[in-house]
Amino acid sequence: MERTAALSRDQVIEVSAKLGEPRWLLQKRLAAWETFAKLPYPTPRTEEWKYTDITEVPFEELPLELPTGKPKAIPQAVRDRLAQAQLAGYAVFVGAELVHLELPEELRQQGVILTSLHQALAQYPDLLEAHLFKAVNWADWVGPQQNRPENAKIPALNAAFFTHGVFLYVPKNVAFSKPLGVFKYLEGGQLSGSRTLIVAEAHSQAVYIEEYLSPSQVPPSVNTSATEIVLADGAKVRHAHIQLLGRGFYHFHRQRALLQRDATLNDLVVNMGSSLSRAEVQSEMLGPGSFSEMLGLYFTSGTEHVDHYTLQHHVADHAHSDVLYKGAAKDQSRTVYAGLIKVAQGAQKTDAYQTNRNLLLSAEARADSVPQLEIGANDVRCSHGSSTAPVAPEELFYLMSRGLPRHMAQQILVKGHMTDVLTRIPIEPLRQYIESIIEEKVRI
Amino acid sequence: MVNQLEIRNLHAKIADSGEVILKGVNLVVPKGQIHAVMGPNGAGKSTLGKIIAGDPSYEVTAGDILVDGESILELEPDERARKGLFLAFQYPVEVPGVSNANFLRLALQAKKGEEVSMMEFYDRLQRALKTLDWDESILTRYLNDGFSGGEKKRNEIMHMMVLEPTYAILDETDSGLDIDALKVVAKGVNAMRGPNFGALLITHYQRILNYIVPDAVHVMMDGRIVTSGGPELALQLEERGYEWVKELAVTGS
Repeated sequence: MERTAALSRDQVIEVSAKLGEPRWLLQKRLAAWETFAKLPYPTPRTEEWKYTDITEVPFEELPLELPTGKPKAIPQAVRDRLAQAQLAGYAVFVGAELVHLELPEELRQQGVILTSLHQALAQYPDLLEAHLFKAVNWADWVGPQQNRPENAKIPALNAAFFTHGVFLYVPKNVAFSKPLGVFKYLEGGQLSGSRTLIVAEAHSQAVYIEEYLSPSQVPPSVNTSATEIVLADGAKVRHAHIQLLGRGFYHFHRQRALLQRDATLNDLVVNMGSSLSRAEVQSEMLGPGSFSEMLGLYFTSGTEHVDHYTLQHHVADHAHSDVLYKGAAKDQSRTVYAGLIKVAQGAQKTDAYQTNRNLLLSAEARADSVPQLEIGANDVRCSHGSSTAPVAPEELFYLMSRGLPRHMAQQILVKGHMTDVLTRIPIEPLRQYIESIIEEKVRI
Repeated sequence: MVNQLEIRNLHAKIADSGEVILKGVNLVVPKGQIHAVMGPNGAGKSTLGKIIAGDPSYEVTAGDILVDGESILELEPDERARKGLFLAFQYPVEVPGVSNANFLRLALQAKKGEEVSMMEFYDRLQRALKTLDWDESILTRYLNDGFSGGEKKRNEIMHMMVLEPTYAILDETDSGLDIDALKVVAKGVNAMRGPNFGALLITHYQRILNYIVPDAVHVMMDGRIVTSGGPELALQLEERGYEWVKELAVTGS
C-alpha cells in the first residue's frame, strides 16, 4: 500500500531504521527534519527564487520512495546508455535500489571505492562520518547571518528523507581517466531523494558522470539530489550531472565542491528534462591555486522551466574559476540563470569569469539572466557577461535556402550556439550523447 | 512544361518598415542560359535575389515567381531549394558547431530527399574542389566560421556545384574579390553551364562578365527592369555609366 500522508518525524525514524543507519546519521536526519518542519518553502519573494515559482510542486503529497528489496532489471534506457557510454565502471539505481555495480578490479586494487552510500556506511563508517554533509548542508542556510532561511527547506528535505546514494572514494595519488558512470532511473509518481559523496584524496584524479533517467511521461514526481565533492590538495575531478527526467518531474539538485590547494574541478551540468528543474552549483576555492571550471547546458521545450544558480566562492588567493552556461528555449518554455562571483577579503589575484548566453527559438520562450559580482579584494580579475537573443532570421533563412527544413536549421543553430561548451567536453561519447539529445529536442 | 525561371510583375516591400523595393519586375531566365542583372546601388537587385529564394523579411504584394511554370510564392525557402533554386549569398552566415562538409551533406540529402552515400558525396566534393582549385582543409572547418571574404564567396560556389541546382542566383558573388578569386568563381559557374542549368548573375560591375559571358543583360533601376540586351549592353554600361539608362527609365521606353 502506498502512503500519501504528510511527511513526519516518525517517517524520518522509520526510513533510517529501514536502511539500518548508524545513530549519528539518524541524529543528522532528525536535525534536518527540525529545520524542514519549521521553515516555509521559498517563493518568488525569496531573492534566489525570484523567477521560479514552486507553489504547485507536490512535495508533501507523494509517497516516499523506499527500497523495495525486490530484484529489478536494468531498464532499457539505461542499457542503451551503457552500450554507448564507454565507461570504466558503473552503478545502476532503479528507484532507491542499487541493481547493478561494476568496478574494474584494477581500480578496486588501488583502493578506489564505488558503492552505494548505505553499503559504504556499513563498510567505511569513519570515511562517511568524516565527509557526509560537509559540503552540502542545509544548516549553511540557517543561522543568524542568513536572512532567507527558506533556502534551507529543500536541502533539509533531502537530508531528512534521502533513501539512496553513491559513494566514490579515490585514494591519494590514484588516477583514472576513463569515466565511472552512475545511472539513476526513477519510475516516477513518488518523492525521491538521493545523495552523492565524492572524496578525492591528494593528487588523485577521477572522472564521474551521473545521469538521471525516467519514462518520458510520468505522473507528478519530485526528485531531490545533493552532490558533495571533496577535493584534497592537487586532486582533479571531472564531474557531470546529466538530467533527462521525463515530463511530470520536479527536480531539485544542489551541489557543492570544496577545493583545497591546487585542486581542479571540471564540472558540467546538463538539464534537458523534467517539467521544472533547478540546479544550484557551487564551488568553494579554499586553497590557493585551485581551479573550478563550471559548464552548463540546458534546452527547454513545451512549458518546461529550468533554473540554474552558480556560485564561485573565492576564499583563498590565487585561485581561478570559469563559468560558462549556455541555453536555448523553444515553445513557451522558460529558463533562468543567476550566478554570483563572490571574492572574499584577502583573496587577491583571483581570476574569475562568468558567462551566460541564451538563445530563444520562439517569441513565447523566455530567458532571465542575472549575473552578479561581490568583490572584497582589490587585486583581482573578474568579468561577467550575459546575453539573450532570438534566433537570427537571416541565419535561419541561409540554412533553409540550402534545402534544410526549419527544424534541422534550428538544430544546427542550437548546436552552434552551444558549441563552445560542447567542445570543452573531452569525453567524446558523452558529447555525442548530449548532441543527440539536442537533436531530438529540436525535432519534438 | 516551360523550362524557365520567370519573374512576373513582381512587387515587394520590406515586411517591417513597409518600404517598397520592387515595383513590377518582369524577367525570364530560360533553362540553359545565364542572365546578368546589373544596376546601381539601391536598385533592388539583391532584394530580387533574396525574394526569389524566399527571404521572410520581404513581403510580395503583387506578381508571381514561377519555376518551370509553377508558382513558388507560397513555398518555404527549403521547399524552393528542393524545386531546384539556389541563392549564393552576398553575405554568407557564419555557423560554428557544424562543419562545412557535414552541413553540405545534410543539405544535399534534404534537397534530394534521400540518403546520399559518403562515396557519392565525396565524389561531388572532389569535383567541385578541383574546379575551384581548393584543398580539403575547407571541409572540416565550421561553416563560414572565420572564413575570409574570398573564402566565403568561393564556398558559396562550391555549395552550388555540389547541390547542382536548376536555377542559381548569384548575389554579387564578384564583389570584394581580387582578379584571381574572380577567375576561380567564374570557372565554377562556367563548369555548371549546360542545358540543365540557368543562372541569374546579380552584379554591380561589368568585370565578372569578362569571365562569364551572359546570354542576356538586364538593367535594373528603382525596382524595375528598365532595359535588356545582349552582352554588349554590359560594356555600354561600363563606358557610359548608369546615367543614360536613368534617362531611359524616365522617358519610359
